[in-house]
Amino acid sequence: MSTHFSLYQPGSSYLHRLHPLTKLTFSLAAAVVVFGGPGGWLAALFPGLLAMLLLWRAGLAWRAALTIFRLLALLTVVLFLVHGFLNPHNKSILLSLGPFGLGQEGLAYAALVALRLAATLAASLLLTVSTQPAHLVQALAEAGLPYGLAYLLGSPLLLLPQIAGRVRSIQAAQQARGLKTEGSLLQRARALFPLAAPLIFSTLVDVEERSLALEVRGFSAPNPKTSLNELVDSPAQRTARWIMILLAGLLLAVELSWRVYASH
Amino acid sequence: MSLKEQLKQDFSTLTLALIAVAIVLNIVLGQTVSLLKLPIFLDSIGTVLVALLAGPWAGALTGLLTNLIWGLISDPVAAAFAPVALVIGLVAGLCAKYGLFKQWWQAILSGVIITLALSIIAIPIRVYMFGGVTGSGADFITAYLLATGKDLFSAVIITVITDNLIDKVATALLAWAIVKGLPRRFTARFQRSSSVIG
Repeated sequence: MSTHFSLYQPGSSYLHRLHPLTKLTFSLAAAVVVFGGPGGWLAALFPGLLAMLLLWRAGLAWRAALTIFRLLALLTVVLFLVHGFLNPHNKSILLSLGPFGLGQEGLAYAALVALRLAATLAASLLLTVSTQPAHLVQALAEAGLPYGLAYLLGSPLLLLPQIAGRVRSIQAAQQARGLKTEGSLLQRARALFPLAAPLIFSTLVDVEERSLALEVRGFSAPNPKTSLNELVDSPAQRTARWIMILLAGLLLAVELSWRVYASH
Repeated sequence: MSLKEQLKQDFSTLTLALIAVAIVLNIVLGQTVSLLKLPIFLDSIGTVLVALLAGPWAGALTGLLTNLIWGLISDPVAAAFAPVALVIGLVAGLCAKYGLFKQWWQAILSGVIITLALSIIAIPIRVYMFGGVTGSGADFITAYLLATGKDLFSAVIITVITDNLIDKVATALLAWAIVKGLPRRFTARFQRSSSVIG
């Protein structure tokens, strides 16, 4: 597991400079179209290609493709094996291997699912690779998300590296005092509590201190807060966001009404 | 007490600080216990802890945000399962509220109830978004069931339940033991915890 907890890739491309909400809207709209748009696999192909094109223009396509591969390679292999050989809808058999036959219907279905997942991932990476998580949280707070929720989205990102460090010292300490982490299932299950409990207890005890620290800084005060970092938005981006929402809604409506029509 | 007052009490600054820490616990604890090579992931321990200490709404929020943050920083696939994590927190909190987390055997029972409840949400997501597989070891069960002539939906139902049962029972037991073991002066700050400690 990597030690830095982020997909974010620092940079200064046009994607980095876009307002976080514009990118978030694109990711969500693309996901809606991929899974709910008309045209079957075409609905997945276009948003996916568009996302990769936008990433490519920002010089981030390679990085995104590697991440998609890392996250989906194994799943895709399993998907093709399971549906190619075992899908109950398989009728036209392309290849026979003993009792199992490789079916065309299953392969087509596996390809559609893999394409949808890859396209959705590409669209969500467009946001996560080019946006600092803290900026996204700030953008959401400025758009009206309650401060309490914004804190809950932002604070874990800062806590993660800190607590991950504590994990390593607890593992080392328990192993140094001879905790058995190998052996029978029962022996290993017994080691669960000594490994998990110190981490949970120590972090929970910090909670009170944390909440006091927040309170004395006016966390629950109702007045508006100012931010050191200023996010740049533009009328063009605001219009683009509305267009993306309308377009995704329209395509979803087309597909839904077509399905209702076809079922009658 | 009105709903608004209840929510205000459920989401005090103290609770928000607890939720933030619990989200991190969800993300890192699986890694801690991975060296034991047990068939559990413990990625909802923080969610269940919050549910026991601060109620079903706080638990649901913890689960939801854990998966959204996970999706943001390392694996967007996790975000697709955010509704599942939400249900885990909600149901754990309801179990605690109705006195199903007082004894160790009740914690086991709650683990079973949580598993059944999350399956209702997890199965459609797994079938319709992911074609029934996730790229984990549990796919072997799905493949085996398909080979024996089950349809995809029932194969995934059995896979999801067997895959989650041990994990959620272990999570519920561990969370129960932790809440019992926390110092009284800490749990006393969370009114809802009285339904667990008694």
